[in-house]
Amino acid sequence: MAAASAPTPPSTAEIAEAAEPLPSKLENSEADCPRKTRPGLKRLALTFTVLFSFLLGLPFLLKSVEIYRSPLPFREIDDLSAAVESIPLQFPCKFRAVFVGTGGSSFDANELSVKIEHQMRKIAAKDSTSCGACSYNSSVSVVVENGADCFRSDNDFNWKCGALSELNRYEDSREYNDELFDEYLHSLVDKSDGRGNGGNVYTMIVVRREGQKDVSAVVGKYRHGWIVGRLSEEEAVKKVATVFVKVFVNGGKEEGPISGEFMPVGADGKIVLSFNLLNADPHDWIYDWEFQEIDDNLLAPILKYLKPLADISVESQVLYHTPKSSFSYWDEKLGGYIFTTKDLPFFVNSNEWHLDTSVAAGGRSKILHLVVYVPSATECPLQLQLPNGKISKSNGFISPMWGSVVVWNHAACLNGSKMETRVRHMISSEDMRKIFEVFIGQLRQLFGLKSKGIFRDASGTIRLLTSESGFTEWELDVLSRQHTCFNLLQCTTTLGSLSRLVQSLPRMIIKEEIGEQVRYSIEAAKLALSNVSAGIYDASAVSSRRARSFAEDAFYHPSMMSVSYYSFEHCFAVYSPFFLPVALHVLLAALREWKRYKQESRKFKAWKAKKD
Amino acid sequence: MSRLKSFLLLFLALFSATASIKVEELNEEFTEALLLRPLPDRKVLAHFHFRSSAPPSQRYGRHHHIFPKSIYQLVRKFQVREMELSFTQGRWNYERWGGFDPISSSNAKPPGVELWAEFDVPHDQVDDSWKNLTHALSGLFCASINFLERSTSYSAPHWSFGSASGKLRYGTLPREAVCTENLTPWLKLLPCRDKAGLSLLMDRPSIYRGYYHSQRLHLKSDESDASETSTGIVLEQTLTVVLRPDTFSGKVLQPNWSLSSLFGRSVSGKCSLSSSSNVYVQFEQNLVSAWDKLREASEASDNAISVGEGFQDNPLFELSLPPKRVIRESGNFQKAGSILYEFSVEDSNQFKPFDLRLNWKVPVAWSSPQAPLQASRFLLGSGNERGAIAISMKSTRSTDNVERTGAYGENECWLRVGIFQMVPWYVKVYYHTLKLFLDGEPQSSTENMEKILVSPSEDKVSTGVLEMILRLPCSVRTAALTLEFDKGFLHIDEYPPDANQGFDIPSAVIHFADFVANMSFHENSLNQVPILSKLQEEVPVISYTEVLLVPLTTPDFSMPYNVITITCTVFALYFGSLLNALRRRVGEEEKLLSGKGARKAGPLTLMISKLAAKLRGKPWEPPEQSDSGRSSSKYKLIAKVALVAGVAAAWQFYFQ
Repeated sequence: MAAASAPTPPSTAEIAEAAEPLPSKLENSEADCPRKTRPGLKRLALTFTVLFSFLLGLPFLLKSVEIYRSPLPFREIDDLSAAVESIPLQFPCKFRAVFVGTGGSSFDANELSVKIEHQMRKIAAKDSTSCGACSYNSSVSVVVENGADCFRSDNDFNWKCGALSELNRYEDSREYNDELFDEYLHSLVDKSDGRGNGGNVYTMIVVRREGQKDVSAVVGKYRHGWIVGRLSEEEAVKKVATVFVKVFVNGGKEEGPISGEFMPVGADGKIVLSFNLLNADPHDWIYDWEFQEIDDNLLAPILKYLKPLADISVESQVLYHTPKSSFSYWDEKLGGYIFTTKDLPFFVNSNEWHLDTSVAAGGRSKILHLVVYVPSATECPLQLQLPNGKISKSNGFISPMWGSVVVWNHAACLNGSKMETRVRHMISSEDMRKIFEVFIGQLRQLFGLKSKGIFRDASGTIRLLTSESGFTEWELDVLSRQHTCFNLLQCTTTLGSLSRLVQSLPRMIIKEEIGEQVRYSIEAAKLALSNVSAGIYDASAVSSRRARSFAEDAFYHPSMMSVSYYSFEHCFAVYSPFFLPVALHVLLAALREWKRYKQESRKFKAWKAKKD
Repeated sequence: MSRLKSFLLLFLALFSATASIKVEELNEEFTEALLLRPLPDRKVLAHFHFRSSAPPSQRYGRHHHIFPKSIYQLVRKFQVREMELSFTQGRWNYERWGGFDPISSSNAKPPGVELWAEFDVPHDQVDDSWKNLTHALSGLFCASINFLERSTSYSAPHWSFGSASGKLRYGTLPREAVCTENLTPWLKLLPCRDKAGLSLLMDRPSIYRGYYHSQRLHLKSDESDASETSTGIVLEQTLTVVLRPDTFSGKVLQPNWSLSSLFGRSVSGKCSLSSSSNVYVQFEQNLVSAWDKLREASEASDNAISVGEGFQDNPLFELSLPPKRVIRESGNFQKAGSILYEFSVEDSNQFKPFDLRLNWKVPVAWSSPQAPLQASRFLLGSGNERGAIAISMKSTRSTDNVERTGAYGENECWLRVGIFQMVPWYVKVYYHTLKLFLDGEPQSSTENMEKILVSPSEDKVSTGVLEMILRLPCSVRTAALTLEFDKGFLHIDEYPPDANQGFDIPSAVIHFADFVANMSFHENSLNQVPILSKLQEEVPVISYTEVLLVPLTTPDFSMPYNVITITCTVFALYFGSLLNALRRRVGEEEKLLSGKGARKAGPLTLMISKLAAKLRGKPWEPPEQSDSGRSSSKYKLIAKVALVAGVAAAWQFYFQ
């Protein structure tokens, strides 16, 4: 522009100079030609009309180059993330304890309740508060049953006193085992008041028996556990509180390698379990499985059971010529080819194992690969050596967020007998059942649960009963709480980054769909929060999943990164060749005319005053 | 009691028997085969054929042990009824490699990617399914098949491709480069990949060094058909390569070759999963008749006893291994059919690899069977405005043959030729200019046209499709079709990255409806071998023409900005001068000028006034200087420059 304006025609430059002469000259010119007529308004009006029409046209121009940005509720996003992130999400839970046969009790029910609460808070404070824990604000209902007497701390808990007295007799008849007792307690406790509002109810039953030396603590398949044995009240309180906090609330995990945030659920709330049978070398032997049977009989019930947690689908394939990529060595003492835990990072051969093709898993579903590895003749039997030198019983390992591998050595190879090659063998259903037991254990680990049925603590060991479906009810509660919490956290982080991104790029197009998805996501998140506070676990898990998937949909919308190519610099470059010179002309003209008008009218006034 | 027991046993036995039959009937199968054929121009055709089949999932379930999971999921998800995808590099030489046999009819494909698929969904969902399928396939095969998603790149043929259900979509990408990244995912679909079996031969450098390379995937499914007769999904994967054996002397008419010299590898055992893996060597009909002639001659000379189909004593060539079986095509009334030698690779292993070798004893020349007409396509006209597409078809029969048929009378013998041509919208074809020339003479097109279907292109929406069936007299020597077109203009962002290279018009498909390319064998048992049953299948003779490259006018891509700038400048000039003219006071200015004279003329004005004086022919008078005005104007100029520089600096600073 500078170049364009500099060589203005000399004549106009002169006029410009002439239009604003020095004051002394002005006096001279005033003296030279006094103004006798009122200065005309024509030219002034014309230049100002042009100027104003330009100014009026400016909004239209801006409107025409503006891009569509759907209004996003930034304030609501901030509020939501503040609500979720500031205080860890805590679910209401109810705890109940029954003390049977306390003998000469030194405490009454209310005292015990207070003591347990106190103990629970103490334990919980030591633990790092993980996402999805229970809030310990509600009181613990306690029933103390002492012979025929029955004391209650509150009336919510309608425990049938004396219900366990029959059991003592029953127990003597040697048909007693923990599973049966669990079922019996289930009929007594959990059915009495099912899932009410305000969270699930967890019950501990302490049966004091003088005759028994050791103390056994068992947690059942449902939402209760029991402690039987000779123990003082203090110990009982401690133990009950431990079970409540460490098992029922935290899922009985120690500080494991997988924290709750790594729940292997896809952003759309789906998991694809991809089962693979890998025949390392089909020249030696070919194994096949009856997967349809397993799918129908073993997997279907588990998947149905896990439905509130995630939408799980199953697919399978058999692959051939898939050697592992790590080495194994022959160990005479152990009688097999050994691979150690150090080899595990190199076991999965991503060059030859084509596990990744799943057209069915569209979008952002999570695929978990569950692999059965059939070693070839040159490395059979193949066994995993644990760091302590022992051979692993499950002969498999997991890789968090990827899946798991089980090495299966068939019987002929273990016995060292010859077998016919190039014939398709079937893995026997007995072996299949074993493999899938390992898989279910590994699945539990992938979800962050313990694979063993024993919980060890400073106060002793607690036996955890296992369910046929792999997951007990209280474990599912733990998972669904964690899942909800994690989903909400993820949702708020995603929405937060979305809002930051959108605010930092002012020329980014935001489609209406994205705005809608964000609004839906916030709605679902709010619903999940209200469900959390009401203690409805399933509904909160579902709506939190919806919230997360909407947030992810918005963030990964295909149109999301379509930053307008028409950047501000571009806009400036396109319009400046027209608007800069014209605006200069118009502005200067208006300015000069205005100056001239003032000057002339002053002259006229001076003349008029002189004349008068 | 015992009776009951026996009944029970009987029942059990029966039940198990039926169960075993059912299991046997419903089984996945995988077979592999390789067909080798010497070609007349010293090259060798290698045709790999893999077939996997899965029984219908209603009865068998959805878990497979051989059939590829990804293909099954593809079929389930997009409800594909039939699909064919081919990746090709190079052009099939119809003249030399033949155009009238099953392999050339179904495996000679246009360069690049060709995809057609028929869906089993309602009519309004077909396009969506197609789009999703292209994306899934492009992910699966590492190719840009997703470009076929745009409605301007695919078409819906009505009757040129088998089915006339209206649920078929067809698209090609002529410029797609085909290489190993497409072959590897294709191999992943085979249970043994390239780890064992015949696919072990696929040494990448040797197969990509060939003259023609076409990898094809064809699948047929009747999954949605719930009836008992449904066959499930059949996946057929073929790789057709034309290779030239390495020979040291260039003078030999036919080079000797072996599998290891062709591919650089040899087969060590079959794929353990395949139920049959055979290698076939085919000798074409014309070669066989040459051989017969040779044998007759030798018989006449020394009365040797012919052993018929013996392979050791034949005078023409020698195979290093004894064939498992010799299959003779049942020839037609005059000539003997071609001969197939079958070899099984099952007995070979790592230490005794299967390495078949063919040695020629006598130099021999023959020609491959040709399609009735040989088609080629080219462009007419010059310039960037208009042009014409011409499809010329030349009769391949020798002259005496034509004369003989000519004697029958022209009305009796007709040759029906189908043409399918897809034209992108920016080539605006005027279908009314369709002209047909027979033997160089223009013909009225209605007379020779049996059927024609034209769906004109819509700008930026759909491609134009021409489907027609011509009825030509048998005696015709050449036939030519011309179509005129205008070259369209594209919007600036519709140009592909390399626009100056030109735009491709996909190959036209020429099919001869009355001719079927199939081989028929005497033995019925041969149907059980998939490659042989495939060879016996009646497929219409099809040939593809060349891909045309149409140069379109490509703009200078910086043009829009130039246009904007120049228009803006012109507008600004006009506007500024108009405004100046409106608000100028001519009288006053003149007065001022005369009053002050050239009070403070700069060097430029001085020069101009000098020049003007000279032009007028008057002596130039230097204007009297006024120092004050001059210095003030200088200051103003400096201030202006400083202002502009300051604005620029501020701008730069603000936007950094």
